[in-house]
Amino acid sequence: MLYRNAIGAIWLALVLVGSITGARAFDESKYPDFNGQWKRPAGIANQFDISKPQGRAQQVPLTPEYQAIFEAGLADQKAGGQGNDPTYICIPDGMPRVMNVIFPMEIVITPKTTYMMIEYLTQLRRIYTDGRDWPKDFEPSFTGYSIGKWTDADASGRYQTLEVETRLLKGPRTYDPSGAPLHPDNESVVTERIYLDKSDPNVLHDDITTVDHALTRPWTVNKRYVRVNNPIWFEASCAEGNPHLRIDGQNYMLSADGHLMPAKKGQMPPDLRYFNQPRN
Amino acid sequence: MTCRSSIGAIALLAALLLPSFLLPDAGALAFDQSKYPDLKGQWERIGSPRWDDDHAPLTAEYQAIYQANLKDMKAGGQGIDPTYTCLSPGMPRIMNVYDPMEIVVTPATTHILIQHNHDMRRIFTDGRDWPSDEEPSFAGYSIGKWIDSKGTGRFDLLEVETRNLKGPRVYDASGLPFHKDNKTVINERIYLDQADPNLLHDDITVMDHALTRPFAANKKYSRSKDPQPVWLEAQCSDGNHHVQIGKENYYVGEDGYLMPVKKDQAPPDLKYFNKK
Repeated sequence: MLYRNAIGAIWLALVLVGSITGARAFDESKYPDFNGQWKRPAGIANQFDISKPQGRAQQVPLTPEYQAIFEAGLADQKAGGQGNDPTYICIPDGMPRVMNVIFPMEIVITPKTTYMMIEYLTQLRRIYTDGRDWPKDFEPSFTGYSIGKWTDADASGRYQTLEVETRLLKGPRTYDPSGAPLHPDNESVVTERIYLDKSDPNVLHDDITTVDHALTRPWTVNKRYVRVNNPIWFEASCAEGNPHLRIDGQNYMLSADGHLMPAKKGQMPPDLRYFNQPRN
Repeated sequence: MTCRSSIGAIALLAALLLPSFLLPDAGALAFDQSKYPDLKGQWERIGSPRWDDDHAPLTAEYQAIYQANLKDMKAGGQGIDPTYTCLSPGMPRIMNVYDPMEIVVTPATTHILIQHNHDMRRIFTDGRDWPSDEEPSFAGYSIGKWIDSKGTGRFDLLEVETRNLKGPRVYDASGLPFHKDNKTVINERIYLDQADPNLLHDDITVMDHALTRPFAANKKYSRSKDPQPVWLEAQCSDGNHHVQIGKENYYVGEDGYLMPVKKDQAPPDLKYFNKK
């Protein structure tokens, strides 16, 4: 009788183990602690390679053709224009620029997807870690399609690194506001290694390598972010109060009193051919 | 021996029946997903993204504002709907769910992710109080509480209150307005349908000084059956043809030229341009 009771108890125990294991499918302790708010380090602006200043100093390994496009954009910016930077009318940064993290970032890890939420232009990245393959019919997007894999390099039983590959991008995209361009064929492939600093768990690294037809070779940078605990999340809406307009391929600005004004010296006003009466 | 095996098994059983917080590895299993309703997947709105505009209990003042807005829309304008320049719809209009929604539940925060136009929400469920210095936002500040209404040991209801909003906001594309003081308070009850777990409800009650009484709506969303749903990137500013110059809205045509949106609309004042 006792023997039968013991078997019954063990069977019940096994059933319970199974059910509890299933119920607790998400073991957070297997993953690195990416909780909190991540910001650019102090003193870092919106440049892509944070070890160098913006502009030419980034030394983007552009092909001669795209270096010339970059230089023309810089000249336009010097004249008051926006150059190659498409974001002035609230076009999203896209990958990999989104990882400049112009506004703070939150990372939420779930077993199948890691979410990166950046409070600017609804820049949401989904990094799929469920073992899926590349989709056949995905519409290209500014943030692209990201597939990730968690790795436990030192076999500690806890993942340390999220390796990500992003494809299926659309443009126009630049690396930062200076307008160093990505190729308009949008065949960029961006790989990342995201991990906590070994000596400071409040520092996050993202080693980003971009392969793009506007580059002479893959371009790798190391991005860093610092953790803010108990953060305040503020809403950063590009469209709210944005004084930039694009009309007939030209950028114009809105004055504080709401009137259209030139963005460059000597800029002509927009063509008003569709209006059948002049303003008095 | 038999007795000892039995005792061991019973001890194991007892250990398994202990509350999780008494288990030695409880910290490692901090997030017990089984306590929460399964809100995973892609949710799409059922029906049109509208409120019951005909029965909104607007004050006389705001009814007049609403009617003037409808008249402007009839003439080709945007009325008082501020979203044509890609401003966030804000709360509660976000929950019209213009593009598919994902809900990510974590112990401290429930994230509502809608890839439309700043439609993402954080609902804090960590027991915090209202902040004293938070800047108002279109989505507002949302505090939630998970409820186990049936005593099953599993939460089945998320109650949410949202405050600290800013404007301009309207309920939907008809321009049904909120009071410009932005003291709106929004209560929600978010739960799965009892008969259909692929049907999500959001009972929304709005209190606002433009209303004569609270205004309630039941929003419904259906879950996609696709285990790997496609999430399209919806960026309002990508290809938006509407521009606002001063208080007027204009349209930028396919050929890039500025166009009127109303019959005989005057062109913008070009006083800041040098005229040759």
